[in-house]
Amino acid sequence: MLNALIIGAGTMGGTHAEAYAKMENVKLAGIVDINLAKAQGLADRLNTKAFQTYEEAVELDEIDVVSICVPTPFHKQYVMKVADDKKHVICEKPLAISLSDAREMINYCNDKGVKLFVGHVVRFFPEYVKAKKLVDEGKVGKPAVVRTTRGGGFPIASNDWYSDFASSGGLVLDMIIHDFDYLRWCFGEVKRVYAKSTRTRVFEKFEYALVTLRFESGVIAHVEGTWAHQGFSTKFEIAGKEGIIEYDSSKVTPVVASRKETASSEGVAVPESPMKDNPYFAELEHFIHCIQTDAEPVVTAEDAYKAMEISLAALESIETGKVVVLEDTQEKVGVQ
Amino acid sequence: MKVGIISFAHGHAYSYANALTELDGVEILGIADENEERGRKAAAEFNTEYYADYEDLLNQPIEAVVITSENSKHYEHVVAAAKKGKHILCEKPLAHTAEAAQAIIDICKEHNVILQTAFPVRFSTPVVEAKRIIDSGDLGNIVAIKATNRGTNPGGWFVDREKSGGGAVIDHTVHVVDIIRWYTGAEVKEVYAEIGNLISDYDIDDCGQLTMEFDNNMFATLDCSWSRNDAYPTWGDVMLEIVGTRGTLSVDAFGQKTNLYNRDGAHWDFWGDDMDRGLVEDFISSVREGKNPSITGEDGLKALSVAIAAYESSKKQVPVQVN
Ligand SMILES: NC(=O)c1ccc[n+]([C@@H]2O[C@H](COP(=O)([O-])OP(=O)(O)OC[C@H]3O[C@@H](n4cnc5c(N)ncnc54)[C@H](O)[C@@H]3O)[C@@H](O)[C@H]2O)c1
Repeated sequence: MLNALIIGAGTMGGTHAEAYAKMENVKLAGIVDINLAKAQGLADRLNTKAFQTYEEAVELDEIDVVSICVPTPFHKQYVMKVADDKKHVICEKPLAISLSDAREMINYCNDKGVKLFVGHVVRFFPEYVKAKKLVDEGKVGKPAVVRTTRGGGFPIASNDWYSDFASSGGLVLDMIIHDFDYLRWCFGEVKRVYAKSTRTRVFEKFEYALVTLRFESGVIAHVEGTWAHQGFSTKFEIAGKEGIIEYDSSKVTPVVASRKETASSEGVAVPESPMKDNPYFAELEHFIHCIQTDAEPVVTAEDAYKAMEISLAALESIETGKVVVLEDTQEKVGVQ
Repeated sequence: MKVGIISFAHGHAYSYANALTELDGVEILGIADENEERGRKAAAEFNTEYYADYEDLLNQPIEAVVITSENSKHYEHVVAAAKKGKHILCEKPLAHTAEAAQAIIDICKEHNVILQTAFPVRFSTPVVEAKRIIDSGDLGNIVAIKATNRGTNPGGWFVDREKSGGGAVIDHTVHVVDIIRWYTGAEVKEVYAEIGNLISDYDIDDCGQLTMEFDNNMFATLDCSWSRNDAYPTWGDVMLEIVGTRGTLSVDAFGQKTNLYNRDGAHWDFWGDDMDRGLVEDFISSVREGKNPSITGEDGLKALSVAIAAYESSKKQVPVQVN
């Protein structure tokens, strides 16, 4: 039995907490949030304790692993603290805002002898896992042109922190890093990055970015990220020499409830794609398994670093209008 | 009105010829083709005369000519037709090089004949409806566009650089560039392209991903790859995702379809309006009324310049200015 603690009781904190609460070999030991009422609300719902500080929480209980689900700029301070206390760390993505911070965090956890996992959960979404398997089995032949899409409306969170670019890095660092990690997992290392975003053009709560990646293998990938649409969806398409894989979450709706609304005459449709375990559960269960068995995870902290490298190269390209060749981006300063 | 067709090298010749036969008061007087077998077959199909020499066709009392030869032959055919005072509908890309395209424009001006570039997508009913929505201002300012114009590798002369000027990039860049220019009135300033020969065994580009910067602070990307295979339910697509400050718009020019599944596999049966017919109808009415063509030679050249800049960008691996 492992005791897990959550720091941050927002969207992701809730997701991690629900997953631990369901796991038989994990005890959800508590929830920490500077906003104690938020921690309390989640703790009450899942039958655990709430704390305002991490220090109070570790004092009280024997903790083995800590999920860090606070806004990105606070990842580092907690990763260091938790590593100091010799507890394993599961940190939400992106690992950090700058590559130097990310490197420092990875090294620190290594030095302290604790494991560091990063929540690149797309590697646990069954449709993405299945697509990689099809590619690996040669079902589409040699991959050639790949397209991905991710996004919907502008994210809503505590203190509206996503709209502060210095905190979130915008959608290129915060969201399509998922696709960068996935694409790297499937197609290997990226050679060049070229990107455009509305961020430097439209000064509203709104972002739309289009990124082109060229891989060492020759694969060309196009990544669309949006906080300018209505309704979240993800898409991918892999065209190879001998086949094509297509997926569009907005068209995969095995359960659609359509109800008459009381207030207006318009109905509302709520599509769902239910699974016994959600991908976050699968991801965390895998990380727990790796802690218990000392196995190598499907996604390592080094992978998280590499995904950040691609995001930061895209941000540099957006800023400068130039192509960014990845060898040149070693240890960049990150979001300014 | 009597019309001639020069060459059935490009498959679009069939749909333009079909459209011509459907128009009232229009007659296909003859078909010239250096490939006798192909020319005779087409002439028989459309119930008209075959000419081995296009000059002979141009000497007939035709008012206009449709040129659907290989890209590299457009120049020769346009020059001959313009000199005989025939109005011209020329298949895209206008030529295989920017110089040839400019020369085509100049010769038509000199001889005072209409030159229309064949960009049928402007006549797709969903594409036209999308323009109405953009023009209404409902989307706010257009800030970005993501487009695809993918297809199936046509093989034949299309993969012979001497005749085509290039592969997927020259073939499939021009339609979407034309539509974006038409929608927004903006011009492409700079292009970056990743181009590859990753799908077919022919030695020609079949994958292309372009990023364009426009003179109104808007950007767009275009996937122009010949990445659809034989098993895919249709030949390709023209799709645009248009992002404005107040809303977004998705356009799928070939989205009106019924799905067919049988022994031959899965097939998307398109039932939307015929854009080629719209194009031909528009050209014929310009000739009849002696008005300026709705799509000019300059439009054809602007779109071609983007494709040519894309090749240069891919070679140099840097963004390239478009002039
Ligand atoms: N893997 C995914 O799919 C995914 C999805 C969304 C967000 N994320 C990532 O998860 C992290 C959290 O995002 P979110 O959307 O859940 O944010 P959120 O704003 O919903 O939640 C953050 C919570 O942390 C608390 N908090 C803020 N500063 C704190 C501090 N110093 N100490 C303790 N608590 C603090 C806030 O009160 C809030 O309750 C981010 O890094 C984000 O990028 C990952």
